[in-house]
Amino acid sequence: MWDWIVDRYDLFTGWAFEALLQPLMYRLGLMDWADEAFLWMDFLVFGLIQVVVVAVVCLPLEAWRPVERWESHRKVLTDVAYTLLARLGILPMIGFVLFFAAQTRIEAMIADSGWVPPTLETFLPFLREQPFLALIFYIVVLDFAAYWHHRFQHRIGWWWALHSIHHAQTQMTFWTDDRNHILDDILAAAWFGAIAVLIGVPPGQFPIILLVLRLAESLSHANVRLDFGRVGERLFVSPRFHRAHHGVLSVGAEGKNYGVLLPVWDWIFGTADFQRDHYPRTGDPSAPRAYVEGGWLRQQAAGFREIWRAIRGKRAS
Amino acid sequence: MWRALFFVIAFWAAPARADLAYVLNSADATISVVDTATRAEIRRIPVLREVHHLVVTPDGRSLVVGDSGGNELIFLDPESGAVQRRERISNPYHLEYSPDGRYLVVASLRRDQVDIYEAASLTLLQRFRQPDKPSHVAFSPDSRWAFVTLQGSGQVAAVDLEARQTAWVQDVGPEPAGIIWHRGRLIVGLMGREDFVALDPTTREVRPAFRVGRGAHTIFPAPNGRTLYATSRVESRIAEVDAETLEVRRIFEIAGGPDCIAFDSEGRLYATLRWTGRLLVLDTATGEHAQIRVGRSPHGVFVMPRRPGLDAAFAFQSPGAQSGTRPMGAPPPRGLAALQGTGPAVTVTPVRVEAGSPTSRLRAPWR
Repeated sequence: MWDWIVDRYDLFTGWAFEALLQPLMYRLGLMDWADEAFLWMDFLVFGLIQVVVVAVVCLPLEAWRPVERWESHRKVLTDVAYTLLARLGILPMIGFVLFFAAQTRIEAMIADSGWVPPTLETFLPFLREQPFLALIFYIVVLDFAAYWHHRFQHRIGWWWALHSIHHAQTQMTFWTDDRNHILDDILAAAWFGAIAVLIGVPPGQFPIILLVLRLAESLSHANVRLDFGRVGERLFVSPRFHRAHHGVLSVGAEGKNYGVLLPVWDWIFGTADFQRDHYPRTGDPSAPRAYVEGGWLRQQAAGFREIWRAIRGKRAS
Repeated sequence: MWRALFFVIAFWAAPARADLAYVLNSADATISVVDTATRAEIRRIPVLREVHHLVVTPDGRSLVVGDSGGNELIFLDPESGAVQRRERISNPYHLEYSPDGRYLVVASLRRDQVDIYEAASLTLLQRFRQPDKPSHVAFSPDSRWAFVTLQGSGQVAAVDLEARQTAWVQDVGPEPAGIIWHRGRLIVGLMGREDFVALDPTTREVRPAFRVGRGAHTIFPAPNGRTLYATSRVESRIAEVDAETLEVRRIFEIAGGPDCIAFDSEGRLYATLRWTGRLLVLDTATGEHAQIRVGRSPHGVFVMPRRPGLDAAFAFQSPGAQSGTRPMGAPPPRGLAALQGTGPAVTVTPVRVEAGSPTSRLRAPWR
């Protein structure tokens, strides 16, 4: 059954590429980008599936036991726009076009230095024959990196000026996961790009795992009164756990529950809050009005202004 | 004497083992091993990240697979698929040994570099920075020259392996990809056009060679030496080309983006279909065909013969070996009559043949 689904997926992606995208690329003289375009088509189709699966799971949950009820969902629509831009490959494609040449240069410089970048499997050779296990190792390492990336987003003043967009949402739903300033996304790409140089990128042949991870991250933002129990709360980040992070009293350097997938890092580094009955209001009370009320474009413009103010020392962190 | 007779009888009575096809699944980080008789995938070999091309070592004892994303070469036993060893090198995309076996030249598409390694020790001898996207490599039969297509800048670079320097760079047309040495010339596929061009490496004159349709891509000589097979990405077809006149004889329409091609010892054609995750098997003599599901975005392919008397390097003893990315000056005939006898009769008018859809099944048994 699973093989049949993957086969239909491959045939559809291949058809869409051959019938729609590749002729356009030929016409535009871009055939030397065909392989990358095929990957982008894959990203697009898989992104669509991700959005549908996440919505199918999270919408009923939010309707079942919402933490908050709102008369107007206008602010949520802004987060829907963020999700579609991120998951349908539009922002990643712009990023790819802008940075591919730079990435090539950097990789070439590294190669010229004589250093061949390793992978995690270089250090742990037993993972070579176990790609699934390798993926689990990568998830743990990258989640640890994500924890510290997240803490720096809150600790460093100018970085918080950007990341505050993510926290300014007072109507947090599962759509809020992708609500980030593009500069913040670029910094994240640089952060994880540097880690990729050190340990390689994880194997990508387990789409179902990637789908589950995506679902877990979205679910953690969902407007649902749900925790994973006394033990479960310590194993995986729940909607309750992450809502505590988005609470109005948990902004900037005062933050807690930074974990993205695994709460164990908060446990180890003393930033965990495991109060299971606590579902605070979300938002950043110090965020500019545009962060709270604005649409995608207005928030992005405000983000540039706020980081500039922060760098000049005119913004309270 | 009885023992000798027993061995002779056992040898002739033993069932011939099926050839093995190795398919590199570039988007799956795996290598599919396919039994060509049952057309079943019998094994998947995990690799690190992103495999694209493979070559046979000059001694025929190993298949060398380039994992560009994993910065690694994987040496496989072509008889069994067992991993013999791994070597860390920078971003091996397309790779080829020089005909004399001294050098391994590696094109790194994403790092804009061409590396020359000493084949035996894999010591990096020289790295050439290239303008944009070095893609495919081919040699001259005397092993003096390596020619590299530069996809991004529309050129072919000629690297002098003795002087270890780039001797010249020639404009050939938009987005050149596949390249082979063929009877003193280089045949180059232009992905940005409908045709292949012929580049004279002496005069550097470029002429249209033949037309296959939009997105001309790669070209491979058939073992019989009389035919070339060329692919078109956008039109999604394989063109059968007369090796002597460069006239297109037949066109096989194949959905799925045919890319790399290999041949078994009986001349059947195996092509990876990049966009549908399948391996096409096509008997060009009879038109019989089938598609085998493999991994995602299959790219490089190799067929290991398991007939007695043939090894992994069998193709280099065939008449077709005088053309290709590793052209042999004069391949010695070594009991390969079967390779020379296959191939269709020449017809000058191109004939269109529908060669299967992803769900196509073989319409007649191979054997």
